Amino acid sequence: MSATVTAPAGGAASGPTTEHTPVHNVTFWRVLRSEWIKLWTLRSTWWTLAATVVVMVGFALLLAFIVQLVGNEMEGASPEDQAAMGGVLGGTTVVAAGFEMAALVVAVLGALMITGEYSTGMIRSTFAAVPGRLPAFFGKAVVLVLVTAVLTVVSLALSWLVTYPLLNANDATVDFGDSDQIRALLGTVLYVTLVALFALGLGALLRHTAGAIFTVVAIFLVIPTIFQIATLAAAQLEWVGVVNKLLPSVAGAQITPNAGAFPDVLDPWVGISVLAGYTLLVLVGASARLKLQDA
Amino acid sequence: MIEARGLLKRYGAKTAVNDVTFTVQPGQVTGFLGPNGAGKSTTMRMIVGLDRPTAGSVTVNGKPYTAHRRPLAEVGALLDAKAVHTGRTARNHLLAMAATHGIATKRVDEVIELTGLQSVASKRVGGFSLGMGQRLGIAAALLGDPRTLILDEPVNGLDPEGVLWVRNIAKYLASEGRTVFLSSHLMSEVALTADHVIVIGKGRILADSPVAEFVDGAARKVVRVRSPQATELADLLKAKNAEVEDVEPGLLEVRGAEASAVGELAATSRIVLHELTPVASTLEEAYMSLTADSVEYQSEDLAAVAAATSHHEGSKA
Repeated sequence: MSATVTAPAGGAASGPTTEHTPVHNVTFWRVLRSEWIKLWTLRSTWWTLAATVVVMVGFALLLAFIVQLVGNEMEGASPEDQAAMGGVLGGTTVVAAGFEMAALVVAVLGALMITGEYSTGMIRSTFAAVPGRLPAFFGKAVVLVLVTAVLTVVSLALSWLVTYPLLNANDATVDFGDSDQIRALLGTVLYVTLVALFALGLGALLRHTAGAIFTVVAIFLVIPTIFQIATLAAAQLEWVGVVNKLLPSVAGAQITPNAGAFPDVLDPWVGISVLAGYTLLVLVGASARLKLQDA
Repeated sequence: MIEARGLLKRYGAKTAVNDVTFTVQPGQVTGFLGPNGAGKSTTMRMIVGLDRPTAGSVTVNGKPYTAHRRPLAEVGALLDAKAVHTGRTARNHLLAMAATHGIATKRVDEVIELTGLQSVASKRVGGFSLGMGQRLGIAAALLGDPRTLILDEPVNGLDPEGVLWVRNIAKYLASEGRTVFLSSHLMSEVALTADHVIVIGKGRILADSPVAEFVDGAARKVVRVRSPQATELADLLKAKNAEVEDVEPGLLEVRGAEASAVGELAATSRIVLHELTPVASTLEEAYMSLTADSVEYQSEDLAAVAAATSHHEGSKA
């Protein structure tokens, strides 16, 4: 580097303190601002957010086309059959179709928010500025919740918009007067946000990007898939059903339009509370490790 | 002011810092000198609360670092050039750090200019050279206009101009009454920059004195004398208050007597001399001998290893 650096010997004017620099106490609000800046000044944020929107809108469109195809096939079928079909492929199901994949993408963002700081060494700068450590971690959590919730709402709105012509033609639009449908859409926002938080906590616990993402994928994709098969193959085993309904993804998804068709599932609000409980557990564990262990 | 009292840090069975007590005074540059792995970085990390001491305590400006409400105004720390997210630009990194203390954007641009980073401020840190990384680390350390500066190996990877710049800035900050604590594994660097030196080896403090005093003590002359009557000569020299060390049978190292005086003494006592060599030890040698036992990763003398594997502890103590 060939930048010319003036030695600070030339008096106050060229010194490190040209005048009094106002420096204020560290407050949670200021930490929040810092975390906000950190989030938006990384390219990975923009990539993951864009990917989330693409996944949500893409899956919704795909499913809307299926609704159209099915509608063509069912022309002339009895009203009872048409109603049954509408129950499976309702407007909310279509609009929220990509929420499980989107949750995984947002989980990557959540994990990266903290593992990216460990892998680059940034965490030492963060904790030097906020030696209490937990405010920085909670600041990340608040920023993540805010961004994820808004992102999911925007994605749902976009999905609704692009699928509206197709759904309208098949009389399968979202009924905003139906409180169950509203709950399912809000539940989708809750689910995606909780998964993102869960991943942030895992990231702080494991301090390793690949490890955290692998674990999230295992918990929210691999294990539920295995249990889905197991509940069908070994329906007589009671414990399989019990474990299955208590899995974070299965429990949490009951509030969404994609509520499981298994015989034994939790009530939507109980289910999302179970997922919130797991998330809280991970966050508490992460806080303990952050506070007690060397950075 | 930094005050460490009985500071101890263990990683498992390994003791990185062993019951260290020292005070770093404001208004001067204090060098923290020691070979790699001596415990310099660990000590500095404990000062800023990143590592928790196993025992003992350390305060900065009267309080533990974590108890300060404006930590960046108390301590600016360059712990290593790699404490920055590689995907963020230098300026955005500084802006994010500044936000935690409500520091104005104007100050961010000020430290960028001060550290000569204007041309790369909007580039992502991942592409920075080690030298630019060091400058960014120093910029971050200066952000809060801190009363105390902790710089871990600040000249690492800097070009000669950058090295000079760090020396000047360290001295300038100290002249303003700030506390400057600067680590290095190079004696020459510390001798040029610091007023006071704390030497650490294998986690223990080996010396804590003004640099001038340390240099005086280190640069004492040694006379090497080889004689078949070495023992006899040694007794005579000791009687004249010289310090004599038996390096090996027939070879003495004499401190506190000139070569001419040793020669005259030998002549009057009819002692045969085979060699009489004045050896001026350099600063670097003094430091090497002080830390010889405490070097973590010692390079073995291959010939010695081959000759006697069991004897490789050496006799250079």
